[in-house]
Amino acid sequence: MNVITAKLKEALFSVLPITILVIILNFTFVPLETTTFFRFIIGSVAIIIGLTIFLFGVDSGITPIGNTMGTAIVKSNKILIVIIAGLLLGFFISIAEPDLHILAGQVDFASSGLITKDSIVLVVSAGIALMLAFGLSRIVYNLPLNKLLLIIYGIIFILALFTTPEFLAISFDASGATTGALTVPFILALAMGVSKLKKNSKSSEEDSFGLVGLASAGAIVGVLIMSVISRPEKIPANLDTTEATAAAASIFAPYLQMLPEIAKEVLIALAPIVVIFLIFQIVSSSVSRTMLRKILFGIVFTFIGLVLFLLGVNAGFMEVGSIVGHKLAAMDNHLYAILIGFVLGMVTVIAEPAVYVLTHQIEDVTSGYIKRRLVLATLALGVALSVALSVVRILIPEVQLWHYLLPGYIISIIMTFLVPDLFVGIAFDSGGVASGPMTATFILAFTQGVADATPGADVLIDGFGVIAMVAMTPLIALQILGLIFRARSRKGGVKDNG
Amino acid sequence: MDNDFKRQEIELICVIVNFGLGSKVISSAKRSGVTGGTIAIGKGTVNSRILDFFGLSDIRKEVVYMAAEKNTAYHALEELNNEFDFSKPNHGIAFTTSIIGLVGTKSFAGEQMPDRSERGVDHTMYHIITTIVDKGKAEEVISAATQAGSKGGTVLNARGSGIHETSKLFAMEIEPEKEVVIILSEADKTNGIVETIRENLKIDDPGNGIIFVQDTNRTYGIVK
Repeated sequence: MNVITAKLKEALFSVLPITILVIILNFTFVPLETTTFFRFIIGSVAIIIGLTIFLFGVDSGITPIGNTMGTAIVKSNKILIVIIAGLLLGFFISIAEPDLHILAGQVDFASSGLITKDSIVLVVSAGIALMLAFGLSRIVYNLPLNKLLLIIYGIIFILALFTTPEFLAISFDASGATTGALTVPFILALAMGVSKLKKNSKSSEEDSFGLVGLASAGAIVGVLIMSVISRPEKIPANLDTTEATAAAASIFAPYLQMLPEIAKEVLIALAPIVVIFLIFQIVSSSVSRTMLRKILFGIVFTFIGLVLFLLGVNAGFMEVGSIVGHKLAAMDNHLYAILIGFVLGMVTVIAEPAVYVLTHQIEDVTSGYIKRRLVLATLALGVALSVALSVVRILIPEVQLWHYLLPGYIISIIMTFLVPDLFVGIAFDSGGVASGPMTATFILAFTQGVADATPGADVLIDGFGVIAMVAMTPLIALQILGLIFRARSRKGGVKDNG
Repeated sequence: MDNDFKRQEIELICVIVNFGLGSKVISSAKRSGVTGGTIAIGKGTVNSRILDFFGLSDIRKEVVYMAAEKNTAYHALEELNNEFDFSKPNHGIAFTTSIIGLVGTKSFAGEQMPDRSERGVDHTMYHIITTIVDKGKAEEVISAATQAGSKGGTVLNARGSGIHETSKLFAMEIEPEKEVVIILSEADKTNGIVETIRENLKIDDPGNGIIFVQDTNRTYGIVK
């Protein structure tokens, strides 16, 4: 049972901080209604159990699938197969991602139907597919990640000049939304499967990261191209947010209501990975029978775990986030909202499932050279800062999203040329990783709550852009960590001519 | 001189513990006089039929290698056993094996490859040459070894810390990435291989890695 308790402990460690914070808030600044409070507690329990099961599932299901497929793709030794596999995987994985559909629905709504939901789903999926194929070929051909990022973000910058601020926010949000709890572990494993074949151990390690970052950049390009082509009018203001007003009196009602919907979403999101793997297995049968059984169990665990997790987040956490944001912004002293936003950001990202997967992969690939705790702490600080900055932006109407994004991305691109390559990949991956389901619901609900209570702030417009921030600050935070690491890893007492 | 030399027998300590404990093992061994160690990540199994059925039997382990003079090694191992309670289940295992030659650490400076023939009754045909170098240098090690007549080698990823690497980041010690190259060589080629690696990678300069050689009792699978 050692294995289970170890995982449970890690899940507890990641979810307890946020739970404790809300409990403290409940007894101090933001008293919650009893039903809401108990719903939150039940949500926490569901999240802890769900996360434990999900992580088992990822370890024994999703990661091996990604690994074996990545290896098999490269072993074919044909660049055409690498590209086609990248395109297919990228397209079907992202088209099945529930978060993308939610985002596309919002865009459809925000552009008053000018950009339809289906078109945005297709374009973003195509963008991710292209970037995934591109990213895989990059690993095979040894192209440097930082130059590629410079080119891609250069294109994004040019496209951004022709779009409205609202769509800028949406497109950067898309990057976070599309790299969900399932996609990230899979893409990470895929990159590892491809790059571990490299003889040069240094680049084999470095290239295990960066693919998620490239894929999420694909989503940004996709939305930007859409908005430039269709030139939507300014977003109609004063949209009412009828969502998240779960006025149900019973504690369990929201859970029961949401269960079938969430189960369906997870099933759809899981389907392409499983189907492609099964086809691949029938064609090549490269996985042994015991391994296959293990993977299939892993998939079942992934499903159960993710459903429980999302159920807890959506039914228990979202409402609380919005109430906390609302009440804090309504207080006279705005410092509270900013401060608590900071702490919320810190504890939320720790509970993000993909963060756990990324930090573990970092430990595995670097044989423990980069410690998990250190990456977690850096990531938490980065996200904390981004949430605090987002609250400032909502409270002060003069501050606009691009005031943060433009310098932020310029700094992070410049840093890619100064930081060890390994950290560049890790940083850009963590951008997509930090903006998972937990952030997308809890932090988004929190900032929308703040916006709702702030006169002059628009819930929808100011609500967008938070995920973009959460996806950006880790880029800088982790690259700073990389600089520190490089400065500290020099050998003492030895001349540098090694 | 020769007598002196034999008295200084060297042991390789090998400790297998749960993930995350490796660094602690090294730092506690350092207190007992061991100069450094290397940690590789491994996978262990759990003995539980239910977990095995669900395919949940994998658990991450850390394998710690430390070389030390015999008395130091036994002392360190004793201390480690006190601290980590290896006798209890799930607390890990530890063992030592003997090393017949060690190159690249100051504490045993000038150590040469001993003449094998005087050791042991069994005439060993093969030696294990283990080279630990900084990440990225394993290829050089293997090509140097091949040059000297080795048939190939196996590379493990690891991290480690010697006396030259003690920088800290906050409270955490940084353990730089290493590569462990394991080469099986015919006994008469061992000296040549070790010397080539030693020259090509400047092992004698401090901080460039270590090489140690061990006897094998039986080997299979080496095709001439």
